[in-house]
Amino acid sequence: MDFASFPLSTMIFLPGVVGLFLLLIPSRAVAFHRWVSLLASVATLALALFVFQGFDPSQGGFQLTEAATWLPSLGISYRVEVDGISLLLVLLTALLQPVVFLSSWGSINDKVKGYVVAMLLLETGVLGAFLATDMFLFYVFWELMLIPMYFIIGVWGGERRVYAAVKFVLFTLAGSLLMLVAILYMAFQYKAQFGVLTFSYHDWMALRLPMGEGFWHSPQMLAFAAFALAFAIKVPVWPVHTWLPDAHTEAPTGGSIILAGVLLKLGTYGLLRFNRGLFPEAWDRSRGLFMVLAVIAIIYGALVSWAQKDMKRLVAFSSVSHMGFIVLGMFAGGVTATQGALLQMVNHGLSTGALFLLVGVIYDRRHTRMIEDYGGLAAVMPVYTGTFLLATLASIGLPGLNGFVGEFLILLGTYQNHPVAAALGATGVILGAVYMLSLVQRVFWNPLVHEENRSLSDISWREMASFAPLAVFMVWIGVHPTTFLTLSEKAVQKLLGG
Amino acid sequence: MIALWLESVAPELTLVLLGGILVLLDAFTPRWRPAFAWLTVAGVLAALGLRWLVAAPGPVWVGALAVDTLGRFADSYILVACALALLAADPYLSRTGARYGEFYGLLLWAAVGAMTMAKANHLLVVFVGLELLSISLYVLNAFHRQNLLSLEAGWKYLVVGAFSSAVFLFGAALLYGAAGTLALPAVAGKLSAPSPLAALALALLASALAFKLALFPFHAWAPDVYQGSPTPVTAFLSVVPKGAALLVLARVVASANPQELTGRWTAALAALAVGSMVLGNLAAIAQRDIKRMLAYSGIAHMGYALVGLVAFGADGVAGVLVYLAAYTFMNIAAFAAVSAFSESEEEPHLINDLSGQGWERPVVSFALSLSMFALAGIPPTVGFVGKFLVFRAAVNANMVWLAVVGVLASLVSVFFYVRVVYYLYMKPLPKRKPAFSEPWPVKLLSLACVVAILTLGVFPQGLLRFAQEAAGLLGR
Repeated sequence: MDFASFPLSTMIFLPGVVGLFLLLIPSRAVAFHRWVSLLASVATLALALFVFQGFDPSQGGFQLTEAATWLPSLGISYRVEVDGISLLLVLLTALLQPVVFLSSWGSINDKVKGYVVAMLLLETGVLGAFLATDMFLFYVFWELMLIPMYFIIGVWGGERRVYAAVKFVLFTLAGSLLMLVAILYMAFQYKAQFGVLTFSYHDWMALRLPMGEGFWHSPQMLAFAAFALAFAIKVPVWPVHTWLPDAHTEAPTGGSIILAGVLLKLGTYGLLRFNRGLFPEAWDRSRGLFMVLAVIAIIYGALVSWAQKDMKRLVAFSSVSHMGFIVLGMFAGGVTATQGALLQMVNHGLSTGALFLLVGVIYDRRHTRMIEDYGGLAAVMPVYTGTFLLATLASIGLPGLNGFVGEFLILLGTYQNHPVAAALGATGVILGAVYMLSLVQRVFWNPLVHEENRSLSDISWREMASFAPLAVFMVWIGVHPTTFLTLSEKAVQKLLGG
Repeated sequence: MIALWLESVAPELTLVLLGGILVLLDAFTPRWRPAFAWLTVAGVLAALGLRWLVAAPGPVWVGALAVDTLGRFADSYILVACALALLAADPYLSRTGARYGEFYGLLLWAAVGAMTMAKANHLLVVFVGLELLSISLYVLNAFHRQNLLSLEAGWKYLVVGAFSSAVFLFGAALLYGAAGTLALPAVAGKLSAPSPLAALALALLASALAFKLALFPFHAWAPDVYQGSPTPVTAFLSVVPKGAALLVLARVVASANPQELTGRWTAALAALAVGSMVLGNLAAIAQRDIKRMLAYSGIAHMGYALVGLVAFGADGVAGVLVYLAAYTFMNIAAFAAVSAFSESEEEPHLINDLSGQGWERPVVSFALSLSMFALAGIPPTVGFVGKFLVFRAAVNANMVWLAVVGVLASLVSVFFYVRVVYYLYMKPLPKRKPAFSEPWPVKLLSLACVVAILTLGVFPQGLLRFAQEAAGLLGR
């Protein structure tokens, strides 16, 4: 078979197939599992770059379509394709995965085989969910992520890992099961109108469910709500965010990176792709509601971050705040804000991924995440301090780094129509600087009071190698965001205008 | 003259004879006992082959037995379940020193009873099958006769079974009074003007079948019987009689469903389905014994399957058939693992005892975890396909609310299914090592179920077409 003609499918299934193969290898061969999983993720990244190279950004629609019949009697087919929106997120996923594997070499020493298998299966689920344009297929990939993540948190996590893992599973399923009913409902509504049973996203774009007078009581609003709940839990939008701090804090470093970097983006991606694409009227009607929730998330997340004593928990709550920005940008409407939101998804993946990675670096040395256990690390670990500062500045949106571009575009686009929301959102930027810089101060600059911190070794080459790719893109997006914005511009215009 | 049509019941004849031979062999050449299991498996596979080799002639014996595609589906399902239960039974019996021919004979006869029931187009033939199945199971439940729990299980199943048989007969008698016939296809024409008598008759029939299916509120026997019976028998019991009873119910609903009664059928079946899904899943949360937990989960699953029947139509029945196939693999994999993990039959099978076993006994644990996820309905397992199809049928029949209740109930169920996985992989192993590792028949069975759960979950097209073809015969 010629894999070059099916780059998307090859990319989606390569990690999963390698994962299943590793399942058959005895778990004693730790080095083998580590290397093969790393190579598989690098190969996936190469395939993602191959897709990128074959992608034509001047077209707004889907490209590189790969389709096959799957369950013809139910109107279900296998269909994966890519547009500018999903391409960015696929590249992000493929970039983060090798970082995750590399970072786990120091922290995961027990049951390595299970860990890499779960991670590889997870990557297949994530890539598939970003690329599927058949709703049934999308749902299968969406749920496929659940089990590996449950294991990653539950087996290799921190002290309260089981609580966090079960909470993660129940929250995620609570949303997605209702989405399943909505998917079925849509399929039969389509059949009633057009006489064909299909689960194709493209076909469904032609379907407009009726809107009623009231806010809720109409088919479109209810279906919209079912989809939105599933995605809002994943994002997570306040007030369904409570699973996130637990899951992020308890997960092992790699799990946190993948959760924050990629899995949360599936929520915002789903909102944009499916809620915006399939229910435009309901989207307009609930715009105000979601913007309010987003602003609450921005401010609430930032304030709660400020109060944290646990570094990982602090970064986790900062995610709530940052994801609020993305939701704000998407619901504010307009190409600028949406483009900003999309870019911010990538930015958040990079900078929060980097922060979790770097917190993991000192956790591996000191086995504590409490801020008060550190202080004065700048003198002991100078290089590490530099990397942490870079990730921090990227996260709080220093001009010249990636976070600035995304936040600026979101606020610019939001201000045009909703100045109050933009003003309130902007306070989140200030608060972000407050809690992140105070974290840096307490960990790195304050006097070195704990003697055991004196002997900490600086960041190693392996850890540096896992951080470097993230740093490159933080600067690249900050200096020349056009590279990435042009990729998605046409697709966003098509989605918003179509 | 009535043709004998013996070849159309060749699988049943094979199994009945083989059962008799095994009982005799046990009496005369007891040293052959270790080979009995394999002889039985070979017989079951031969019967399965015969069912597919012999052309399906349609209704035979004046229409009393429907040897058609639906019958073929039912037989395949029952025989596969039987073969899998046998694989689980052999290590169990050799461990407990009870490799008696009677066990295999009774299991085969029970299977024949279920096959007869599932294919019967006439209520008396249904009754004959039902009794053959039940009486064999009364003995099998109490097979571990030194164990009080096992005796209790046999006794309970006997009392409840006899009671439900009586209810069934009474219902059949009343239906005869209302319709003047017991042949199901003929009933369809005779019930054009439904009377209170017919309604009562159908209610009694449905109740009797609901007893067999352990549907709420006829479920109370299930946890005790599941817990007390020898685990391989529980595996069989949880799958085969339920499937057969569900098919009988599907036939009754399809034939005795005139326009005026449809509303009542819908209400009654929906009430049973909702009650079972809600009660089964909520009660399962509180269980500490995994067999009791699976009993409650079985109650809930028959509720899901019933959702497909509430929707009527071929679409729903096809969903039910796929659901049954899915249920077979996931449930038997689970019980086989439970049987492999239990070190003594006297003690309860606590979920707690699974702690840390996931890394010690990887194959069986993997199968158990996968079956838990499949029972919870998470893709890409066949359990998801089954749930998808029955909920799809409900949405198609404009009963979105029923699908919503179904998914919420399965959300609750995730909690206790996932808890089993938690004990397997996330709890530390207690100090003592397991007394034995994984016997190879159990490994084989686990792998077979894993392959089936995943393959049918990713490529359900073949199973689906088979089910749709079979269900087309009951559609309206």
